[in-house]
Formats: sequence, structure tokens, C-alpha cells
Amino acid sequence: MSYDERANARPNLNDESDVEEEAMVNDYREQVNFDDGMSELDRTTSNGGAGQDLQAQLAAAATPLEYQATLETKFASYDNYCSLFHYILNSDGPVDLEVPSYYWAWDVIDEFIYQFESFCRYRNRVACGGVNEEEAQLLRENPNTWGCYSVLNVLYSLIQRSQINEQLAATKRGDDPLTVAGEYGSRPLYKMLGYFSIIGLLRVHCLLGDFSLALKTLDDIEMNKKAMFARVMAAHFTTYYYVGFSYMMMRRYGDAIRMFSHILVYVSRTKNFQKGGNNYDAIAKKNDQMYALIAICVALHPTRLDDTIHSALREKYGEQFYRMQKGGPEALPVFEELFRSSCPKFINPTPPDFDNPASNVDPVDHHTAIFMDEVKNTLFNPTIRSYLKLYTTMDLKKLAGFLEVSPEQLRSWLLVNKQRSRQIRWVEGGLLDGEPAIANDLDYALEDDLIHVSETKAGRRLVDWYLRNLARVY
Amino acid sequence: MVAFDKCETRPAHIEAILSGLDRYNPETTTVFQDYVAQQCEDRSFDCYANLALLKLFQFNPHLLQADTVTNILAKALTVFPSAAFSLCLALLPTNTQPFPTTSEAQAASQTSDFVESVQKLTRLNTLLESAQYAQFWSTLNSDDLYADLTADVAGFEELVRIRIAVEVGKTFRSITAENLESWLDMRRDALDKFVADVCGWKVDGATVHVPTNKENEARSEVKSERVGVEQFGRVIRRGFEQPA
Repeated sequence: MSYDERANARPNLNDESDVEEEAMVNDYREQVNFDDGMSELDRTTSNGGAGQDLQAQLAAAATPLEYQATLETKFASYDNYCSLFHYILNSDGPVDLEVPSYYWAWDVIDEFIYQFESFCRYRNRVACGGVNEEEAQLLRENPNTWGCYSVLNVLYSLIQRSQINEQLAATKRGDDPLTVAGEYGSRPLYKMLGYFSIIGLLRVHCLLGDFSLALKTLDDIEMNKKAMFARVMAAHFTTYYYVGFSYMMMRRYGDAIRMFSHILVYVSRTKNFQKGGNNYDAIAKKNDQMYALIAICVALHPTRLDDTIHSALREKYGEQFYRMQKGGPEALPVFEELFRSSCPKFINPTPPDFDNPASNVDPVDHHTAIFMDEVKNTLFNPTIRSYLKLYTTMDLKKLAGFLEVSPEQLRSWLLVNKQRSRQIRWVEGGLLDGEPAIANDLDYALEDDLIHVSETKAGRRLVDWYLRNLARVY
Repeated sequence: MVAFDKCETRPAHIEAILSGLDRYNPETTTVFQDYVAQQCEDRSFDCYANLALLKLFQFNPHLLQADTVTNILAKALTVFPSAAFSLCLALLPTNTQPFPTTSEAQAASQTSDFVESVQKLTRLNTLLESAQYAQFWSTLNSDDLYADLTADVAGFEELVRIRIAVEVGKTFRSITAENLESWLDMRRDALDKFVADVCGWKVDGATVHVPTNKENEARSEVKSERVGVEQFGRVIRRGFEQPA
């Protein structure tokens, strides 16, 4: 019954009807077979104006570097991006480009950021390791290659050129986006690049540890299946991962769970016809990471999950999930392990200190330490809840005796549990907006040393039963 | 409605910088620094703007002003429980190591003053977030450095006291004065005055009574199902389609 209560207290969780879900799946199927709606893109292509070199550049920009790429290749790739974006942004008026595919705009932004991320991490590793003097020297001499300012500059310029935020805002108001799109933004190429640059910014801010700005970036994008990102699987997936993760780092676990559940349900429904796709492996990996993150969030913030997700979660992380839900010191290493394996690969925006290898701390360690501090502070919430569930009134000293802690310590735990059961939850508006909400069906108050426990119970749900039986007989 | 990116006390020129690309312009650092100083004085707090300044420091490490950073952290301490402090930490240089491990703690003498300050403030944050208020005060009073770190924040102790009182009021209906004395670091006569004047609570001998509020009520309730006419739409429509 307790599951039902939570579901009742959280009407938003199940509002996505199967019908809508099904429609989306069909929509996806259609796209896989033919890129409808994107044909405008092909129509705008110039009459063979783009030279062979440019075509090669366009294709290269959307293609991952080899795993063993040398530093020179990485530098060259950066130059390639710079000249390409310079050409797109600063030519005389909008350029007519024949892009290799509809997904090109997403692929190019995705790969651009991926290379920025891996370059920063590589640079940090070289500085820490001190093995390759030659590379260290080369990196030291080129501090501005893959600099954070130039990467952000590209993304913001693409957004501004395409007037994409204005266009999205107009769509939201119900106006025609073309009225504000301008010379550039009315062209699909610029519009798509601008749009995916917003998603790219979300990701870059998150990688740099600026979680509130990451969410703020999506102000004009509505998180639903009609959004443009939902038309490219990888983009859809990436968006929800980073939004969910940012919520988690802002301690809005309820919202994080909502984001992760949404996309995991979607993936579980589309899985069958996605196999064989070229980024299937990457998606499968992110998928597992999101299951790990959702396990962490549910442990910190007990929530009823969708049945599909719950059973998949138990299959993938059953043991870890159980240990985290139980809390206590034994759960700490599990939290840390899962967090490390599923967090984004955080980066330092500035070059490391090549002269003091020891002073360069891996940003992943930094963010893990910050997150683990909060986990440590709330480690005994599950213990408290499991005991209080059994009583309506309880003497504090007696409970402290059961738990073998001092009454003073128990008072702190009770305060912490009470505080964490209040969270900001999104209702409408921007992703950063929200209302304070009580996130737990178990509540209590202390009268001196007497703990009064109360529980919010859900009444019997009769309408469904009544309707079902009515449909059967009538 | 709570919006993380809004702040009632935020002046228009700060809002303009935050919503444009000037938030990345190193020249705005001084504007933000003045704004932090203003927040310290007038007891307001604008987390979103302060994060923008920390981001500028993150991108331009040579501009980093240790005093401003510690002031931002000290201000973030006064709004617990919230993620504000950890969000600030997330933007600090990674070698600050806010949570020293034991071996590093021994080598603490070698670390810079800035790192030590951040670690000390982080320790205070952990104590507040884990509701160990008595230890918070004893730690705060244990070292003069803490006094230096919080000196710029006007009314730091009072702000923290009020936050603690608010949290206590959410969980307790009544509490012994002895407990409150240690949690608020106040002696009995000052405590009586504080809870009566600032909190509006009643003191009755050795017990302090907190009036009922929404949070400390802890009422059991049964949530009944919400039933709307539209749920029966299908049944009613059928009734019209096939008259029985």
C-alpha cells in the first residue's frame, strides 16, 4: 500500500500515458526509415558551390577522432573546427552548405564538445603523469588550444546567429518563429546548429561544474517529446542525462528521478529497433549510467519508480541498490563507486600546472568529494525512517538506546532527515523554478523527548476498479 | 514559487550582466566583487550571481581574490540547509581540496592560506548540514581564523542562529532550554530574550514551546483519491451511443 501512497502524493510521475509514449515510439520508427521534415535541409543546398575540401571538412567535423590520435591530430582538429565555424559564422551573409546528413548538426556539436572534453582530460593526465616531456612542452606552449573561452564563444555565437532562443520563445507563445528568425535563423542549417548548441552548452556547463547555469541554459526549451532534440536519439538521450545530473547535484532528487525515468522508459521501449545503430554502444553505456544515477537518487529520496525501470534497476544494480537503500557506513563505498562510474567526465577549463604534477587534482575527484559529503551527512536517514515507521510515539532516549547512539546524535539525525524530506520540485516554468514539497510520507515532530510520528496514507482507490468492472459488464 | 536564478534584492545592473554574455567578461569581476561586499553588508544573499563570479575566477585563475571567495562561502553558510555551499565549492579550483583526507591534513601546514580557509569553511558547512549545531559553535570558537573568515559578513552569528532556530521550529513542538543553549550558543538570559523576541516562542521554566506551524504539526492524514467527471467520460458517452 505504501507504494500507492507515494504514487498518489506524486501525481506527476505517471502522467505520461502509454498512448503518448506509443505515439513517440512510432514517431521514432518513422524517422529511422526516412528523415521526413528534414528534407528542407537538402533543398537549401547550393548548386555544387561547396568545394571538395569543404565537403571533407564538414564530414571530418562530425567524425570521431581515432582513439590513438596524436596530439598533432588533436591540434589540427581544433584548427579545422575553428576555420569551419569561422566560415559558417563570419562569411558575408549566411552560407549555403550541403551537409552530409540531417544528423550532421548534432554530430558536429557533439563531437566538438567531446573533443574539447577529452583534450582537457588528456592535458590533465599529461601534467599529472610527467611521462611525456615532449607532449607536456607542446601543451604548455599552446594554452589557448581548445580553450574554454573559444569553445563557449562558438556555441554562443551559433545560438545568437540563429536567433534560436527568440525562435523557441516565439513558438512557446504560439507565434510563428520565422518572424524573429532573421536572415540566418530561417535556414535549417543555422537553426539546427543553434539549437544543438544550446544542448551543447548544457553539457559544457555541467562538465565545468556549473549545474545551475546548465539548467538555466534550457530556459527556452520545453522538456517534452515534441521538442526538437527528441528527433535525434543521441540528443534526446544526452539532454535528459545532463539535466537529470544537474538536478541531482542541486539536491533536487525528485526532479532528477523524473528526468532519468522519462528517458529510460523511452529507451526501454525503443531498444529493439535501435540495435545495430552506430551509436548503440554509447547509448547502452549512458543507459547503464543513468540506472546507476537513478539508484543513487532513489536511495537518497525514496520514490516509487515505473515498474519497467524498477525491475531493470534490480537486474543491473540489485545488490548495490539494496545496500544504498539500507544506508549506514557500509553504503558509502557503493555510493562512491556508482557516482564515479556514472558522472560526466568533469574537466578543468584552464591548463594544469605542468611544473607541479602533484597539485593537479582530477576534477572527478573534486566533484565526487563534494557529493560524498552530502551522502555522509544523510547516511542515517534510512535507519531513522525504518524505525519510526514502526511507531506512532517513541521516546527519544529509548530509540537512541536501540540505535546505540547518544540522544544528542539522534536529535541531529532527526533534524537532518526532516530537512532532507523537504525539497524543491518543478511544477512549471524554467527548469530552475519549483515549489517546496514534502517528499516523504513519514513525518514527525518532537515534544521534548517524545517523538510523534505521523504517516500520510492514501485512501483506497476505487475509481479504476469501478470503471474497469463497469466496462466489463456494460 | 522558488526560482534559483532570481533574487528579489538583485540590482538591475547585475541582472543585466547575468542575462547577457558579459557574465564571461573578466572586466565585470570587480562589479560582482562589489556586489558580494554589498551582500555581506546588507545581509542579502544572491547565490546565482555569486556563482557567476566564481565561474569568472574559474576561467581566469589569475583574477581570483581569496577574500571574495571566502566571503561568498561564508555567506553560503548562512542559508543552510541548501546546496548553495556545495554549488560554490564545485566551481573552485580543484586543488583547493575542500575535504582533506587524513594524510593531507597532516601536511596541512604546507598548504596555502587560501586552501586552509576553504577547508575550514567547508568543515563548518558539514557541521551545519549534518545538524551538529553544538559542534559548529565550538569549532567556530576554537580558532581565531574562523573569526577572521566570517568577520566581513555582517551579523554572521545572528544569521546562523536564526537559521538554526527556524530548523528547530520545524521539528520541535517543545524543547529544553538546555538543548537550545548549546545549539544556539547562548546563555540562558540571552536565550530567553532571543526566543521570545526574534522567534516568538514561549519560555516556560526549563522548556521552550514552539507554536504549531505547518512543519511541526506532523498530522496523520488520509489522502483520498481525486475523482473528476472526465474520468467517466467514456461510460457516459457509451450511455448515449447505445441506449440500454
